[in-house]
Amino acid sequence: MSADTAAPAPVSAATMPSSPAAASSVPERRRARRKPSLTDSERGIVSDADRRQPRVRRAMTGVHIFLSVTLVLAGLGPLLWLAKAAVTPTQDTLRQPFALWPNGIDWANLSTAWSDIHIDQYFFNTIVIAAGAWAFQLVVATTGAYTLSVLRPRYARVLNSLVLATLFIPSVVLLVPLYLTIVDPPLLGRDHSLLNNYLAVWLPMAANAFNILLVKRFFDNLPREVIEAAQTDGAGPFRLFWSIILPMSRPILGVVSVFAIIAAWKDFLWPLLVLPDPAVQPLSVRLPAVQSQTELDVFLAALAIATIIPIAMFLIFQRVFLRSAGLGGAVKG
Amino acid sequence: MTTTQHPPAAPASRRATPLSWIRAGGLSKLLFALPMILVFAIFSWTPIVRSVVMSFQKTNLLTPAEWVGLDNFQAVLNDPLLGTAVLNTLYFAALALVMGFPVPILMAVLMSEVKRGKGVYSALAYLPVVVPPVVAVLLWKVFYDGSPDGVFNTILGWFGIGPQPWLQSTSMAMPSLVIEATWAAAGGSIIIYLAALLSVPPELYDAAEVDGASIWRKAWHVTLPQLRGVIFVMLILQILATAQVFLEPFLFTGGGPANSTVTVLLLIYRYAFQNSLGGNYGMATALSVMLAGFLAVLSWVYFRLTNRWSTS
Amino acid sequence: MMSISRRTAAAGVTLAAGAMLLTACSSGEGGEAASSSDAGGSKVELRVATFPPGADAAAYEAFATQEAQFEEANPDIDVIGVEYEWTGPTFAVQLAGGSLPDVFTVPFTDSKTLLENGQLMDVTDEIEELGYTDSFNPVILDGVTGADGHIYGFPRQAYAMGLHYNRDLFEQAGLDPDDPPATWDEVREAANAITEATGKAGYAQMAINNTGGWQLTAQTVSRGGRTQSDDGDGTYTSTIANEGTKATLQFLHDVRWEDDSFGYKVDLDWGTINQEFAAGNIGMYTSGSDVYTALVRDFGMDPAQYGLTVMPLEGDDPGTLGGGDIAVVSPTVDDATKAAAVKWIDWYYMQKLMDEDAAVADASALAAADQAVGTPVLPVLSRELYEQSQEWIADYINVPLDQMAPFTDRIWDQTPVGEPKGKTQEIYALLDPVVQTVLTDKDADIDALLAQADADAQALLDQ
Repeated sequence: MSADTAAPAPVSAATMPSSPAAASSVPERRRARRKPSLTDSERGIVSDADRRQPRVRRAMTGVHIFLSVTLVLAGLGPLLWLAKAAVTPTQDTLRQPFALWPNGIDWANLSTAWSDIHIDQYFFNTIVIAAGAWAFQLVVATTGAYTLSVLRPRYARVLNSLVLATLFIPSVVLLVPLYLTIVDPPLLGRDHSLLNNYLAVWLPMAANAFNILLVKRFFDNLPREVIEAAQTDGAGPFRLFWSIILPMSRPILGVVSVFAIIAAWKDFLWPLLVLPDPAVQPLSVRLPAVQSQTELDVFLAALAIATIIPIAMFLIFQRVFLRSAGLGGAVKG
Repeated sequence: MTTTQHPPAAPASRRATPLSWIRAGGLSKLLFALPMILVFAIFSWTPIVRSVVMSFQKTNLLTPAEWVGLDNFQAVLNDPLLGTAVLNTLYFAALALVMGFPVPILMAVLMSEVKRGKGVYSALAYLPVVVPPVVAVLLWKVFYDGSPDGVFNTILGWFGIGPQPWLQSTSMAMPSLVIEATWAAAGGSIIIYLAALLSVPPELYDAAEVDGASIWRKAWHVTLPQLRGVIFVMLILQILATAQVFLEPFLFTGGGPANSTVTVLLLIYRYAFQNSLGGNYGMATALSVMLAGFLAVLSWVYFRLTNRWSTS
Repeated sequence: MMSISRRTAAAGVTLAAGAMLLTACSSGEGGEAASSSDAGGSKVELRVATFPPGADAAAYEAFATQEAQFEEANPDIDVIGVEYEWTGPTFAVQLAGGSLPDVFTVPFTDSKTLLENGQLMDVTDEIEELGYTDSFNPVILDGVTGADGHIYGFPRQAYAMGLHYNRDLFEQAGLDPDDPPATWDEVREAANAITEATGKAGYAQMAINNTGGWQLTAQTVSRGGRTQSDDGDGTYTSTIANEGTKATLQFLHDVRWEDDSFGYKVDLDWGTINQEFAAGNIGMYTSGSDVYTALVRDFGMDPAQYGLTVMPLEGDDPGTLGGGDIAVVSPTVDDATKAAAVKWIDWYYMQKLMDEDAAVADASALAAADQAVGTPVLPVLSRELYEQSQEWIADYINVPLDQMAPFTDRIWDQTPVGEPKGKTQEIYALLDPVVQTVLTDKDADIDALLAQADADAQALLDQ
C-alpha cells in the first residue's frame, strides 16, 4: 500500500514494547514481554457465565463457522487457487478456472518457469537482496542504538533527533533525490554509479529510523546494573556490545530481522529504479516485466514459486511473525 | 558470566585534546556511531534536503541545474492531471476506509472471543500479508479477468450475476484496486487489533457484569472505548499509506482506463521516470514536497498521540 | 545466455565484496566501468543491445553465433550482449544512469529529441569513412541529422503500419484469409463475423503506455487526417481535432459498442496485444509490419495462423504511418569503445542491407537458429537494394511470404508518412486516455474529447 521505496515508513511508537518506569530485573521483563501473546488471553467480552447460556453457545458456534469460512476463503483460497493453477494448462485455467485438472496436471509449468524464464536466477537475486538488506539493517540498527542508548557520546542527543526526524518524512520525498544519489554517488561520481549494484538497495534500506528506535528502546530497558558491572569489570565498548548487549537482545533482533527480510522481499519500486539490468533484478521486478511474454500457466507457476519462500518462512516462524506484526505491524511495506 | 580482570580505564582527562578524547573512548564511540551517521547522511538527510532544493531547480542530469523559482510548483499546479490524481487518491482513501477499515476490527473482536482456534485463525488472517505484494497484484489481475470465464466472473456466474469488466472500466477499476489492497492489508490490522484487545483489563468487563451489562453493552461501552486509541492510530496510518498508494494502480491499470486510477504518487513517478527522454525531476520533487508536507503534518500528529499514549 | 551468467557472477562478487565493507561500492560495476577498455588495452569490451526480455533461447543462440563470427574477425573486441528494450521508464532510467549498452537502438520518434539533448554520439566521420552517407534514403537520414549537419546514428530498420490478422479465425468465421479487408468498413464487418462465429475479439487495439496515441495517429493518417502540422520554423501546430481522428474514434466506438466485437480488454499495449494475438484471442489489429519476428520469437505465435495486409486507406491524401529505429552509440563512451561500436553497427546492422555475403551470413545464422528471416520491412536504403537483398537471401527466407502477400504486393503503392515530430511521445501519452474513454464510455463525446486533447497538445507544443 505504501511507496515501496527503501525509505523508512512512518511508524508507530505506541507499538514499542512499553517501557517500564524503573529498570526492572531480567525475569520481570521476560514475563512482561510474554504477556501479549495472541493465544492466551484471560478473558474477553463474553464471560464464562455468558457462555453457559444456550443462545450464546449457539452464537459462538456461528462465530466459529463464520470465521473459518471467511478466513479459509479469503486467506487460503487465493493461494490454493494459485497452487492449482500453477500446474494446470493455460486453456483449462482460462476456460474452467475452478475445475480440478480436467485435462491432467501439467507439472512441466514449474520447471519451465524455473529454467526458461530464469526464475532460478531471480530467486537467487531476491535472496541475495534480502540477505544483504538484513545484514546491513542489523549492523546499523544495533551499533546505532548502542551508541544512542549505552555509549551516549555528547552528540547523541542531536543524532537522536536527526534520526527520529526522518520518521516524519514520507518515503515519497526521497524517491527522486535518492535515485540521483545512486546514479551519481557523492564523492565517487557518476563513473561509479551504484546502479545495478546491490549496495544501492541495501544501504538506503539500512537508513531505517524505525529499526534504530525499536532497538534503542529495547537497549534502554536492559538492566543498567549488568552493564555497569561489566564496565567495572573492565569490559570495553566492543566487548560490552558483543558479549553482553547483543546476547541479551535476541528477541528484538528477531523482530528487526523479520521486518528487514520481509521489506526486502516485498520491495518493488526501488529495485525497479536502481537495478535496471535484468540479470541482477529480484523476482518482484522481473515478474511484471516478463508477464506479457510468458504463457499464463507458466506465469502462474512463476508466481507460485515466488510465494513459496515467504509462506514457508511464515509457517516456520509464525510466532515471531505474529508478534512482530502485533508490535510494529503498523509498518506497511 | 566470567569476569576478566582488566585494569580499569584511565580516568578521562579534563583537557580536551585529541589524545584525551581517544583515551576517554571518544574514538570507539564514534566508530559505533559511524555506520548510522554515514548511512543516514548519504541516504536520508542529504536526499531530503536535496529534494527541497531540486523542487526549485530545473535539471536533466546532463546539463547543470538552474534555479527556476516556483516554476515547478506552478507547472504541477497547472497540470490538468493533478486534480484528477488528487481526487482519485482521495477516492481510493475513502473507499479503503469504507471497505477496509471496519472489517479488521470486527474480525479481531470475533477472533478474540473464540476459545479455541485463535492461533489458526490468526495465521489464516495473516497469510495474505505474507504474499509478496507484486505477486498478489499480478494474481488478482488474473482473478479480475473480464471474460465470462474469468475467476471472479465465474463466481459471480454461480449467483446468476453477469460478467463484470473489473479493471477494464472507469467506474469499477478503482474499487477493484481497493478490494485487493484491503485483502492484502487486513491481516496485519487484525493482528494489531487482536493485541490491543488482549490488553483490555478484564476488571472492566467484570465491573460491567456486576452492573448487569449484556454482551452488546460490554462490546459497545467497554471494548470499543478501550480500542479508541488504537483505532485512531490505525486510521492515521491508513491515511498515510493510502495517500502514497502506488503499486496497485501501477501494476493493475497503469493509471487507466482513461486516467481513472492515476494517483498522486503515480503522477510523481510519471514526471520523473515515465518520459522516455529524461525525467522532469523538478516537477516530480515539487509534487513530492507538497505531498510530503501534508503527510508530515499527519505523521507528526500521529507521533504526538502515540507518544503520549505510550508514556501515559 | 553466456553474457547473462557472466553478469550474475559479477553480481555475486559484488555481494561478497559489499558484505565486507562499505568501501566496496567504489568498485561498483556500473555501466561505464564495464564499457571502458581494461588497463592493458588488449581488448575492448563492447556492451551491445540484444533482445527484449522474454526472447527465447534460440534467439540468443543465433546471437552467440554472430557474436563469435564478429569476435573472430575483430579479435581485439569483446562483445557482451545485454538484454534491452525500448520502453519509456526503463530507457529514461538507463539513460540518466548511464547504464545503457554502448550500442543500442532508438525509435525515429525519439532520435530528434535525444539529438537535441546531446544524448547521442556524433558518428558523421565514421559514416563518411564507411562510405555510405549517400546510400541512405535521404528522408530517413534527415531524422538523424542535427542542426549542425552532423549525423548521430545509423538508420537500420523501418516499418510501415499494417493490419495483422489471424487466418484461423478468418476461416472459422467463413472469411477468405487470402482476401483480407481493404476498407475500414470491411474491417468492421470481418470483426463482427469473427466475434459472432468464435466469441473472440474480432478487432482489438492498443490503448496504454503511449501505444493508444500511436495507433490513433496511424489510423488517422490512413483516413487522410494528420494530428500535427510542421510550421517549418521549429514550431508545430496540433491538428488533433480533424476528421480522420474523429472517424477513427467513431470506428472504435462502433466496433466496441454497436457491434460488441472489440473484446473486453481495453488495456493492451504493444507486448500484451502481441501476446493476445499470438494466443489466438484477437482477429485483427494494427501494428508495425515487422512485428512477425517478435510474434514468433517472443510470443510463441504459430506461423500458419499469421496474415498481414496493408492498412485500409480512405479519405483525402491518406498515407501509411511508418517508423523505425536507428542504431546509436552511447554519448559517454571513450574513443576505443566508439570505434568498436561503429564496427559492430556496421557489421551487425548495416552490411546485411547492402552486401551479399553479409546478408547471406546473417540470414543463415538466423535461419539455423530458427529465427524469422524475410519479415517485411521498409528499406532504409533504396528500394532496389532492398529487393536485391531479398533475392540474395531467398533460400533462407522462412517466413510465410504468401501469407504476407496482401501487404508486400500493395505497400509500394501507399504513401509513407512519418510520425509527428513535435513532442511525439508526450502527445501519444495524451491521446491514450482519449482512446480509453471511447472504449470504456459508451456515451463519450468524441468532439469534446478531441477539442480538449487538441488544446492540451497545443499547450505542450507551445512550452
